[in-house]
Amino acid sequence: MSNSELAELAKEITDNVQRCWKCRMCVEMCPTYEGWFTQSTAGRLMAINLYIKHGLGSEEDLSNMLYSCTTCRRCQERCRILSTDCSPADTILKARQYLVRKAELKGERNHEQIP
Amino acid sequence: MSKSLKDVIPVGHIYIKDNILEKDSLAGVSESKALWAKDLNLPKKAEYTFFAACGYQHMKYVEGMMGALKSASKMGMGMGKVVGISKAFGKVGVDLTGITAKITASKDDPYTPVLISAISVLRKLGLDVGYLHEEEPCCGSPMYYAGFEDDYAEHSRKNYEIFESFGVKKLIGLVPACTASLRDYYPKYIEGYDLEVQHVLEVVVQKLKKTGVKPKVKENVKVTYHDPCQLSRYLELTDEPREILKSIEGIELADLDPEQCGKWSTCCGGGGLEATHPELAERVGVRRVEELLETGASVIVSNCPACEMQLTKVTKKLNANVKVIDLVRLLDESLE
Repeated sequence: MSNSELAELAKEITDNVQRCWKCRMCVEMCPTYEGWFTQSTAGRLMAINLYIKHGLGSEEDLSNMLYSCTTCRRCQERCRILSTDCSPADTILKARQYLVRKAELKGERNHEQIP
Repeated sequence: MSKSLKDVIPVGHIYIKDNILEKDSLAGVSESKALWAKDLNLPKKAEYTFFAACGYQHMKYVEGMMGALKSASKMGMGMGKVVGISKAFGKVGVDLTGITAKITASKDDPYTPVLISAISVLRKLGLDVGYLHEEEPCCGSPMYYAGFEDDYAEHSRKNYEIFESFGVKKLIGLVPACTASLRDYYPKYIEGYDLEVQHVLEVVVQKLKKTGVKPKVKENVKVTYHDPCQLSRYLELTDEPREILKSIEGIELADLDPEQCGKWSTCCGGGGLEATHPELAERVGVRRVEELLETGASVIVSNCPACEMQLTKVTKKLNANVKVIDLVRLLDESLE
């Protein structure tokens, strides 16, 4: 995994987020939603976008939001019926992969620095 | 200061990944998986190969471990600490996970009988089924959902070689997550993937129609069906379980309204969420069980080990007078 591959994955994720219509139907229907926007699909997508595109928010907070998703795909079904082509659940999974890859890449580099 | 994997990814997921890679099992128990099948005389080679998967085989250990973890976190120990302690014991040669898992494993385990029922249903419907016993690998799907795509891809290629070496052509899966993984994700990582993967319910519906068998339960009962996410939205099997339930004489199916069942069913919070956010998982579970209880059914039928674990736990917590039972088990009891 190189930097360019990571950038490719990042682009794929942010492109997916851009396809969101922001209809917010996925907020109320998310099983983990309890009043906080970041505990819903749209909130997670927004956090992913802000982190990847603008470097906002910490990795720990993003990780907490991403891993609190049950990947039940209820939101994705709604998107599919509205033909949004955003695939939110798959995008959240991709963002998890992004976090793992980024951490692994950093780990590799740290390892190289030690003679 | 750059962050390492441990700071960013929940320890529970890293722990499960290590279990799969090192011990080829979700729960990390080195005990034999195939004990349930020892009296069934299942051949390794047959027309259909049954894929039992970690879910039902090791769920009794997972159930105990989750309970232990939760009480540890109530005492103020984070998941990270618990895993750390068990790792430290592992270094000096003490298999702490194995020991706690065995101590905390529920004695009346409701999960392995489902496997036996599945085999018995398939045999009653006249199918020739085999099972790989000890050689059956873990499909690795928890790694995929945790984001470890490379590890998952490598694991899938290794598994495909195992399947090929036994001449497996047709797989019948029981755990929805593993079946979805084998059917939909493996082809992405393996060139020329040619296994035909079906879920038990698909096979059963086809056979029930062909043979015209009429299943029947002893006592009339009102049931409701909880759609597991992986079955309804990943494998897209929402009509099959209902067809089966309706074909059983003596069963009245009280379904939820269309916004809460079928492909719109709410998640029960079981599975991966429990490993990272146990309290949130419980709240999600309570909300789902309350929905299910509104139907007034006395039995909740489902078909996924994670859902069954979660629903059983939550119904006990709510002191609800309902039973949770697997569809395959119910079908086995009603087939003569």
